[in-house]
Amino acid sequence: MASTTTPLIQVKNLHLYFGAFHALKDVSVDFRAGELIGLVGDNGAGKTTLIRVLCGIHTPSSGEVWFDGRKVEKFHPKLAIDEGIETIQQSVGLCDNLSIARNFYLGREPVKRILGIPILDFALMREKSTKVIREFGLRDNVSADDEVERLSGGERQSVKIGRAVEFKNRVVIMDEPTNHLSVREREHVNELAVSLKEQGLLVIYITHDIFQVHKLADRIVIMENGEKIEDASTHTMSAEALEEVIRQGGRKVTKKEPV
Amino acid sequence: MKQFVRSQSFGAVIGVTVMLIAFTVIDFSGWWNRSTLANVVQFSAILGLVAMGQALVIMTKEIDLSVGSVYGLTGVAFITLEPKLGVPGSTLAALAIAAAIGAFQGLVVVRGKLPSMIVTLAGLFAARGVIYVWTGGTVQNFSEAARNNWLTGLLGGQIFGIEAAIFWMVGLCLVLNVLLWGTRYGNRLLATGGSLDSAESRGVRTDHVKILAFMLCSLLAGFAGILTLADRPQTHVTLGDLMELEAIASAVIGGCLLTGGRGSLVGAVLGAFIIVSFRYELIALGAPSSWFTTFVGIVLIVAVIFNQYLARRAGHSV
Amino acid sequence: MALTGFKRLVGRHTEIGILLIAALLIAYFSASSDGRWANAYNIGTILQVTATLGLMTLGVALVIGTGEIDISVGSTFGMGALVYLWLALRVDPTLAVLAALAVGALIGAFNGLVITRTGTPSLIVTLGTLMIFRGLAIALTDGFSFSIPYASRGKFTYWLFGGGDIMGINTAIIWLVLALVILMLVLGATRFGNRLLAVGGSAASAHSRGVRVDRVKLAAFIICGMLASFGGALEAGKLGFADGSMGRLMELQAIASCVLGGCLLAGGQVSLVGALTGVFVLSSIQSYLVVMGVRPQWFMLLLGVIVVGAALGDRVLRQWAIRR
Repeated sequence: MASTTTPLIQVKNLHLYFGAFHALKDVSVDFRAGELIGLVGDNGAGKTTLIRVLCGIHTPSSGEVWFDGRKVEKFHPKLAIDEGIETIQQSVGLCDNLSIARNFYLGREPVKRILGIPILDFALMREKSTKVIREFGLRDNVSADDEVERLSGGERQSVKIGRAVEFKNRVVIMDEPTNHLSVREREHVNELAVSLKEQGLLVIYITHDIFQVHKLADRIVIMENGEKIEDASTHTMSAEALEEVIRQGGRKVTKKEPV
Repeated sequence: MKQFVRSQSFGAVIGVTVMLIAFTVIDFSGWWNRSTLANVVQFSAILGLVAMGQALVIMTKEIDLSVGSVYGLTGVAFITLEPKLGVPGSTLAALAIAAAIGAFQGLVVVRGKLPSMIVTLAGLFAARGVIYVWTGGTVQNFSEAARNNWLTGLLGGQIFGIEAAIFWMVGLCLVLNVLLWGTRYGNRLLATGGSLDSAESRGVRTDHVKILAFMLCSLLAGFAGILTLADRPQTHVTLGDLMELEAIASAVIGGCLLTGGRGSLVGAVLGAFIIVSFRYELIALGAPSSWFTTFVGIVLIVAVIFNQYLARRAGHSV
Repeated sequence: MALTGFKRLVGRHTEIGILLIAALLIAYFSASSDGRWANAYNIGTILQVTATLGLMTLGVALVIGTGEIDISVGSTFGMGALVYLWLALRVDPTLAVLAALAVGALIGAFNGLVITRTGTPSLIVTLGTLMIFRGLAIALTDGFSFSIPYASRGKFTYWLFGGGDIMGINTAIIWLVLALVILMLVLGATRFGNRLLAVGGSAASAHSRGVRVDRVKLAAFIICGMLASFGGALEAGKLGFADGSMGRLMELQAIASCVLGGCLLAGGQVSLVGALTGVFVLSSIQSYLVVMGVRPQWFMLLLGVIVVGAALGDRVLRQWAIRR
């Protein structure tokens, strides 16, 4: 892959404390455009905390984050969104009461000036979102004017992923994207994740399920107890070997002195 | 047609139709005459303005109990400040007071993370208290000059033989509908009420959205108070008493769901029309005026159950 | 160290905030009123007001505990008063109180049934019943007189239900204490109490554990209606007459007291003692303004300011307590 280019996101010796709690311990990791990275670890391993730093929700206590060759000085969710970093979560992101087209552009609605008053550009909203929902495999009888309430769980994820592509995001972080989905819907979402990567985006895929993500990912990063304990290409390490690392990691930690 | 049946105001349209048929059938004392209708429509317009503001707040999944007091206080300010500021000046000052109350309540709800029911309940008491303290219970009146001011006429007089309040309501209803359904703010307001977390994840400043909704609500309630007093320039301390209940009832009859994100401004106006019509029909039937309150309560409960049923049929989870 | 202990206390007991406010207010009122506030007669008056509003507030606290709200209590209070006055003169105060309780239970049952059967928001349904029974009360008092002549106020049963004093304190306060003790036992030590809080905390979880959410809510509304109309009956017993506006705006004071006392509007957390302290604070402020000769017009304004101030203060205190 594009491993020779400069990484899109570089995390260098990141530490994060919540009061006395050491949430991230000296984490260093590179993420490149066009990669699909599986971020794996148990609950409380620090993967969500790491992601929240990348999304600008937490500011690191020490260490550096570089984005696209520039050092990140200010951490704020709005800045992350403006830079094209998007998180796709299971339960959040779409408003049931609004149409697909309205949801699609929520927060950055296109407007046309009529008599100097900025009025929503409904034609553009409808046209673009219709194109995307067709591309991303929603049922034929669903139109962009339908409320999101009508959609199944997989279709909702498809809309969110389609939205991320449409807004030319550079980083898509998928937080447990296939929870509560049927087998077929899970496959569809995973296919979409791979296609995002093939379009040159950086995809960070967070999950517990090492076997599922191993099939998709180029690289697996394993977190444990706030530390990165493994960072390996899926070509060099099998899913079984990685699973063993997670087990070992757990044991190694329990042998340490209690925190 | 299907769109219309699924819309939030469908229930209110049915309600108005049924009501008009019923009133025509049991018409003992001439409900269908010009003077009754003119009165009904004028007071529907005034309650409709308050109800539209309430509807906006309900659509953000909050509630504003203070509208009755704000209506009264703004009206009192309009009359009391007139000798010093003139009619245009006192109109602006009164509206500024209303906007400030709305902004303050919104700010406390959003920043203090307190339930809007408690904050606006306190606003109800405080604004009513200011009315008592300010007027000392006395009745204030417009001078002859103020009554004849062009703006007083524009706000409370008649235009082409029709009460000015009706024009104001229709105009504001149009503006607010465009604001709600056709602008960025409207889209974000609906999103805030529908799912606060999702709206925030898209970068929507839900706190700003809510504060602005509270301000619009107070402004509309205050403006309705000004329209009332421009027509009959005489203050009394109970001005707007219990109006919050009528406004909430109008909004709910008009199809606003308390679960947020769904509602109709036209429905809220129709709801106000239903409530005011009931008042006049009861008077026409010779019932004691107190029965009106009872009837509004019954209509409210029936309407909310009916709207709930319609919403479930349309496939909404409520 | 004392601070950490205090922090833990605040974290566990939501009513600490209002108790502190009450203590500060009592100290301030006593010190600044030159004995006009802190005397036996005035305290007795405060307690009488606290008793009738308090009974209503206890009921509202239970309903809030289930995650619903009842704003019809002001009208139920008025209906209780009218029923009591109507029957106390014609039959007997004891029967009149029982009838008032029955009417309160009916109103509560109506609220509860409509809310649980149709799934409509309780705010709207009880707003509807608030208006229905307020209109009814005004209509009734338009045509009939509801008062008991002084001559017939001598009976023991009349004395028992708010119509007399015991050691300078109105008998209503006995009923309030009785209701408080019973409800605290019910909440703390019975299945119903446990389920009530579970329903408010998470109706879905309670349902999944086999709790009949609808029945618990219905019961809470019935108890709330009974307490409100009982409060009304006691108030009527004290005054000996009533008009159609009796109990008006009391629902708002009751809800404010519950919130001040540490009940969560979202449900699942109830403090009966806290709610009653909230009532006491509100009635103390009212009486302070009266004895200090402040024009009564100021009362509503101050009530509004105090409700928001106390709610904010309580929130800040609790956030401080849960912070590490």
